[in-house]
This record gives sequence, structure tokens and C-alpha cells, in this order.
Amino acid sequence: MTFEEMPDEWQEWLELTPIERFRQSEKIFAQYLAIGGSLDPDPDPTSPFYDPETSSTGAAYGRPGLRVLRRGPV
Amino acid sequence: MGGQACVFYGAAQFSKDVDLALLASEENFSRLLAALGELNAKRIAVPRFDPALLARGHAVHFRCQGGEADGLRVDVMTRLRDLPDFAVLWARRATIQDEDGATFEILSVEDLVQAKKTQREKDWPMIDALVEGHYRALGGEPTPERVAFWLAESRTPERLIGLAQRFPNEARAQTSRRPLLRLAFSGESEALRTALDAEVRLEQAKDRAYWAPLKAEFEAFRRAEREGSGTA
Repeated sequence: MTFEEMPDEWQEWLELTPIERFRQSEKIFAQYLAIGGSLDPDPDPTSPFYDPETSSTGAAYGRPGLRVLRRGPV
Repeated sequence: MGGQACVFYGAAQFSKDVDLALLASEENFSRLLAALGELNAKRIAVPRFDPALLARGHAVHFRCQGGEADGLRVDVMTRLRDLPDFAVLWARRATIQDEDGATFEILSVEDLVQAKKTQREKDWPMIDALVEGHYRALGGEPTPERVAFWLAESRTPERLIGLAQRFPNEARAQTSRRPLLRLAFSGESEALRTALDAEVRLEQAKDRAYWAPLKAEFEAFRRAEREGSGTA
């Protein structure tokens, strides 16, 4: 995808300086943790480090207390 | 060198872990282990920390426990597929400084792109974004090195066609190294897309071949740990 085809959010992200991105990333990371985001790696069977015996699909939205009640059509 | 570097370059918004490419030296390993000790980091997967295993291309995975870094994973490597020794990577690195004077040493974008050419599907859109971000930032200030990088690594038909029009001589000179550039001259978007996909499949096959013996070792390490004979 070329820059011109990217969604506005990504275009704005690329317009930031590296340090501005790093600071924003710290905030996003903090928010991610605040809503219960997991720091476990996402299960990825295409990764050489993938271990089917220890990888799980992960809790819904990363928080152990949440579970999916309904999914969209796709 | 991984997701955090991608944040600096604009190809990711955040990363759940920290990946470190490390100079393999006894002194450096001592400093690493001391730093991991301060973070109360524990190894969470095979293999164990062993400079010989790192030298063969293995990664060692740690997780911090307690404090501000609680839960954060730290992965350490000293060797990356198809990338030169650490000394070369270090000489080519990018250094970014924040407003307080703290510095961040990250892989050069060229090396990061190469490091991301893995069998993992999720790494390939990252390469697109790294190169596109680089072109967006520096396309107005082309140098021979930058033009060569864009021609070698751009992954969208539209960008390649644009580059071939803008830098025809440089593109022609690179066709022996990257044959799909010939398609960019004729503006064949669909054929370019197919050729780009073939490039990905080829690199993924190379990465799988590189990791095959290491994965076999993982399996042996895992079995040994499950049977209780693994060492820390």
C-alpha cells in the first residue's frame, strides 16, 4: 500500500517524528495494559518460535475475565 | 531491533515485547544478565541462555517480573539470518535522541527490512510500511543509496512503477538483481503483484530452510525440559 492509499490514521502516524511516535506508542501501550491487554505473544503458527503445546488462542480482547458472546458475520 | 524499531520508523504503533540484537562478548553478556537481573527477568522458553546457541542463531526469551516492566518480554539474539555481524549492524545503526537526551540505538531501516523477511505472514506488511515510510520521509532528498534501497525493497506495484519512471537508469541497473523491475517499466501492475508475491514465497522458503535445523534443536530442548533434564 502506498502512502497515498493509507488510511488517514496511518498517514498522520507517519508524519510524526520518530520520538513523537515513540511517546505516542508509550501511551497506546499503557492504554493497552489498562484494558487488560496481554503481553503474551499472539499465537502464530507461521513463526519458528510457535509451540502448539504452550500457545493458546488467548483471552478475548486480552483480558482473562472477558469472553466472546457474539461475533460478527465474518 | 524488532517491533520497537518499527515504531520509530512508523511501521507499527506499539510492540508487546523488546527485541535486542546484542554484541556477542563475555563482557556484554555479563552486562545483559545484570540488567535482566535488575528487571527480575526469567527465561520463559527454550533454549537456555548460552552464547554458543545464540551464535548458531537461536533467540533467548525472557519475561520481566515485577516493577514497571512487569510481564514485558525481552528477546535476545546475536545473529540474524542474512545479516552481517553485529559490528557492521552497529556501524549502520540509527540513533534517536529524546528531549531529555536519552538515546535509542536501532537497526538501520535497510537492516530492519532484511530482518523482517521471515516466514511469518505478519512481517511482510511491516516491510511495506517501513519502505513506504522511508520514501515518504526522504523521497524529496534522493541519494544513490536511498534510490537503490527503494528500488530493491519497495513492495507495491504503484510505487515500483513510479520509481521506474522517476529513476529509470537506476532501475535498469538493478534489473539483474531484481528482475521484476522490468515489469515496472511496462506498468504491468497485476504481473508485478504476482512477481512480488513470488518474492515473498521465495524468502519465506529461505527462512524456513534456515530455521529447520534450529527448530529441530528447539524440539529437543523442549523435550529435555519436559523430562526435567533441561538446565537454566
